[in-house]
Amino acid sequence: MGNKQTIFTAQQLDAYQDCTFFTRKEILRLFHRYRDLAPHLVPLDYKDNPDVTIPYELIGSMPELKDNPFRQRIAEVFSKDNEGNMTLDDFLDMFSVLSEMAPRDLKACYAFKIYDFNNDNFICKSDLEKTLLKLTRNELTPEEVNLVCEKVLDESDLDNDGKLSLEDFQHMIIRAPDFLSTFHIRI
Amino acid sequence: MPSLLLLLLLLLLRAVQASLASNGTSVGTELLPGAGLSPLHRPELQSSRSPAEMQTPEGHHGRDTVGFEIVNWQWVHVQGPYLIAVWILVASLAKILFHLSSKVTTVVPESCLLIFLGLGLGGIVLAAAKKPEYQLDPDTFFLFLLPPIVLDSGYFMPSRLFFDNFGAILMYAAIGTLWNSFTTGIALWGIKLAGLMDPKVEADLLDFLLFGSLISAVDPVAVIAVFEEVHVNETLFIIVFGESLLNDAVTVVLYKVFNSFAAIGSENIQALDYVKGVGSIFVVSLGGTAVGIVFAFVLALISRFTKRVRIIEPLFVFLIVYLAHLTAEMVSLSSILAVTFCGLCCKKYVEANISQKSRTTVKYTMKTLASSSETIIFMLLGISAVDTSKWTWDTGLVLFTLLFIFVFRAIGVILQSWILNHFRLVPLDRIDQVVMTYGGLRGAVAFALVILLNDQTVKAKDYFVATTITVIFFTVIIQGLTIKPLVKWLKVKRSDHHKPTLNEELHERAFDHILAAVEDIVGHHGYHYWRDKWEHFDKKYLSQLLMRKSAYRIKDDIWDLYQKLNVRDAISFADQGGHMSSGKFTFASMPSRTSFSETSVTNLLRESGSAVCLDLQVIDTVRSGRDREDTVMHHVLRENLYKPRRRYQGNYSRHFITQGEQERQEREVFQRNMRSRLESFKSTKHNVYSSKNKCRHKKEHKCQKRRNVEGINGQVPNDKLRRNVSWHDTVPVFVEVDSEDEEKDKFTKMKEQEDDEGITFMARTVNENLQERKISGNVEYPQSPSIFPPSPTSAEKELPWKGNQGELTACVSSETNKIVPIDLQYAWKQSMDSLVSPTVSDAVPKTSNFMLAERTTSAVLLVPRHPIHFQFPEACTAAEKSTDEDTMESIQQQELQPLMSAEGDSRQVPAAGLVSTRWPAPFHRPSYVSALRSLVASTQCNMKQSEKSGNVQTNL
Repeated sequence: MGNKQTIFTAQQLDAYQDCTFFTRKEILRLFHRYRDLAPHLVPLDYKDNPDVTIPYELIGSMPELKDNPFRQRIAEVFSKDNEGNMTLDDFLDMFSVLSEMAPRDLKACYAFKIYDFNNDNFICKSDLEKTLLKLTRNELTPEEVNLVCEKVLDESDLDNDGKLSLEDFQHMIIRAPDFLSTFHIRI
Repeated sequence: MPSLLLLLLLLLLRAVQASLASNGTSVGTELLPGAGLSPLHRPELQSSRSPAEMQTPEGHHGRDTVGFEIVNWQWVHVQGPYLIAVWILVASLAKILFHLSSKVTTVVPESCLLIFLGLGLGGIVLAAAKKPEYQLDPDTFFLFLLPPIVLDSGYFMPSRLFFDNFGAILMYAAIGTLWNSFTTGIALWGIKLAGLMDPKVEADLLDFLLFGSLISAVDPVAVIAVFEEVHVNETLFIIVFGESLLNDAVTVVLYKVFNSFAAIGSENIQALDYVKGVGSIFVVSLGGTAVGIVFAFVLALISRFTKRVRIIEPLFVFLIVYLAHLTAEMVSLSSILAVTFCGLCCKKYVEANISQKSRTTVKYTMKTLASSSETIIFMLLGISAVDTSKWTWDTGLVLFTLLFIFVFRAIGVILQSWILNHFRLVPLDRIDQVVMTYGGLRGAVAFALVILLNDQTVKAKDYFVATTITVIFFTVIIQGLTIKPLVKWLKVKRSDHHKPTLNEELHERAFDHILAAVEDIVGHHGYHYWRDKWEHFDKKYLSQLLMRKSAYRIKDDIWDLYQKLNVRDAISFADQGGHMSSGKFTFASMPSRTSFSETSVTNLLRESGSAVCLDLQVIDTVRSGRDREDTVMHHVLRENLYKPRRRYQGNYSRHFITQGEQERQEREVFQRNMRSRLESFKSTKHNVYSSKNKCRHKKEHKCQKRRNVEGINGQVPNDKLRRNVSWHDTVPVFVEVDSEDEEKDKFTKMKEQEDDEGITFMARTVNENLQERKISGNVEYPQSPSIFPPSPTSAEKELPWKGNQGELTACVSSETNKIVPIDLQYAWKQSMDSLVSPTVSDAVPKTSNFMLAERTTSAVLLVPRHPIHFQFPEACTAAEKSTDEDTMESIQQQELQPLMSAEGDSRQVPAAGLVSTRWPAPFHRPSYVSALRSLVASTQCNMKQSEKSGNVQTNL
């Protein structure tokens, strides 16, 4: 790899440090990870903010991700265009949220977003159904799915509006202190 | 209350003295002043008088006994073990007394009470024998008292938690202990130089460092004793506890190093010695660990082959762990580490290999030993403190020691936590640190070490002994007393055990997937990379090597769950009926999705207002419908949620596709279902039979498994009879496993029917049906084998895998079956069938048959009627030993049943036809009679169990 100083300017690095929970070193490491995804697309020189995105097709076709039910959703949530095409900023954002330094509320917020398939800021029944089907690979009968969703909603829906708001979700997570502690990735 | 005990002991001592005197033996006078001497101190007495000498009148003592003595007084002969036994008894009785008043024990930790008791007893012994006795002997302590406690804590250590916090534990144990001992030693030396201490304390820097090393280590015994009662959260507990266990290596090394340095003299120490000292820390700790792991390996390997000698399985566990301890002691490695790691590592394999009973035995024996050791240690500590001859008090030394160990521990904890918090996911906050500081209790290890000091080389030994005892008492008593209020006051997170909510279960799984995805995007080795690696290795090689084939195969978390449910159900079952050993056995539901429609049925029924009995526990523990549904949902989720792809796969080969990966994923749920289905079949066998029978069944077990597989493939072995099994999913399934053979079932059944009073009864019960249904949703009645040529029973019709029939299967509760008499169940079933599904046609002929049988009532046996499936509880196990083989086969049949039924009903008639030819009736005559006899007895209690049955009886 080239000299580290040539990738970013000092201002860029500072900005990244301000915007994420990462140190300079981690940012550089993540950049290389990012570049590894598509070496032909990503230049080694980021000083003039090149407009580079890694298309979702590339991410989604990774063999490791093929089986993952949430691959598209993750990419969508964390990408700016909501279609899964990721820029370096998106990439850093994603890891920033999942880093240990990120506060619990932020994590909860993003987890919520991932669940919220139809982007209406509520986890409604259809979202839950989707999650469940993804998790079980369509193995459940519709009644079962229905029942599980009802139970889940029942359990955490505090204001009885039939859908989970972010507050409901956060409250549920606070009730289980160790819950989100697993939701992290160490870089 | 303790005074009573003391009095007792005093009396005992007096009695011994008096009896010895009256016995007039030559040793009597010699023994008199020290009647209560520790056996360890007078081996020469025992060896000088062999039993033979005692008994022959012509012994060299010249006693002129005339003729044969009927009774000999042989106190000396039994003295040693007798006194030990009495001491243990006293300690245990004291424990009972303490717990008589719950108020006392909630406030005062047991260890404090025991120390006080020891103080009292020591005073009495001192007064009685004019000589301090029964002190905590370092050899006894390290060889006998310590190993059980350490083994117990190692074996039952939550290993996951331990290794999760391993870094922190290691740091506190190693660096923390080093820091504590050096700072304490140096600071005390500074105080000495400053002249704040009695000048008579002759000690130089090395002596103080030596003292610091022994006083600074947190003691496992004290920590367990106190923290067990405090219930702080697991992380905090494991850190303090793990530290206390692992710091042994450091303490022992430091102690030895300084001890030998003190012996050499500070001026003779060379630079090389320091290097050696540092090196020995690693040798001792790693060596101890290695010894433990090697012995754990041996133990696991041995336990793999104890199939035929189940009875000595527990022995192996204790023996080998003890050998590990002794080996480590022998080569002067850290024995505590050896035992800890031996227990920690062997557990998984041993638990899988040994039988359930052995497991219980191991558990109880271990707890008993550990608990009594602990009791004795604290009591002896108390007694030892009475001995003032070893004491030399110096207020300055004591006060400064107390101050320093506390202050430096606090500083150490804060510094280390600060460092650790940079790496820890869940940081240790202030409160945790306070508790950790405060939880640094010193105990018997320090005392044993200080007693072992050589007073030639360490001039100030007496001062150190006094200080150590004071420190131990201060920490155990004062801190032990106050830690509970402190924890409460600081609102330390307590440990709580709650079941995960549905949300958690769902979201955690989702998170796992999400994380796996994100990690994959970067090609990042997961956080649990090494653990996964290890698990992979363990699964692939270690488990294969160390576990029995059978144990290994059933190693599955689903299986664990079933095992748990199994046991729980069985226990509740036994609690209610007291018929644990009866022919019936309940076991947890089988994960088959196809029949899950029943959940919706129950939901439906629930919504329609009637409470449906879904769960086995419903009747004794009144659970709300909501809870029950949750359980069901948990089941569904557990069975069907995908596990994220194992992260270690493909991590290093980012751009390669492992072949077959995709396929594996797709088959995962299917395989899991099938596997657990098979396991559940096996589980009936595992649990129904005593371990004695197990080995005999092994062979059949194997072929049965093969048949199971065949059954899946659709080839049903048709030369076997079928049994009726009520088979359900997602609710605990109730399967009737009659532990006697078919033949007897028939007979008893016939008798039952003969005894029936008849039709009036039936008419009554129909009325009761209506009420009954409100309570429980029993649709199906567990049928005992009937003498009629079996038509497809309703149970089979409702078998889950006949999903295409689409009928609504409802659930069965064993409780319901219990309280509803047999004929009730018939009628009930009829009515429910008509409610639930239109396919009732088969129930009708059956009932009419039944009626016919009733008409042939004979008054030969006046056995009261009662629920039929409850009739051979203990009787059969006692009486039917001879027919065990047959039983075995029938059980197998039951296990095969669900699979066979997938085939269709057509085979049932020929299969049942075989039965009668196979087991001719007269063969079982005698056992049958005895079964009936016990039936009379058992009926009484059965009847009392429910009001329904009570009604029936009065009607009779």
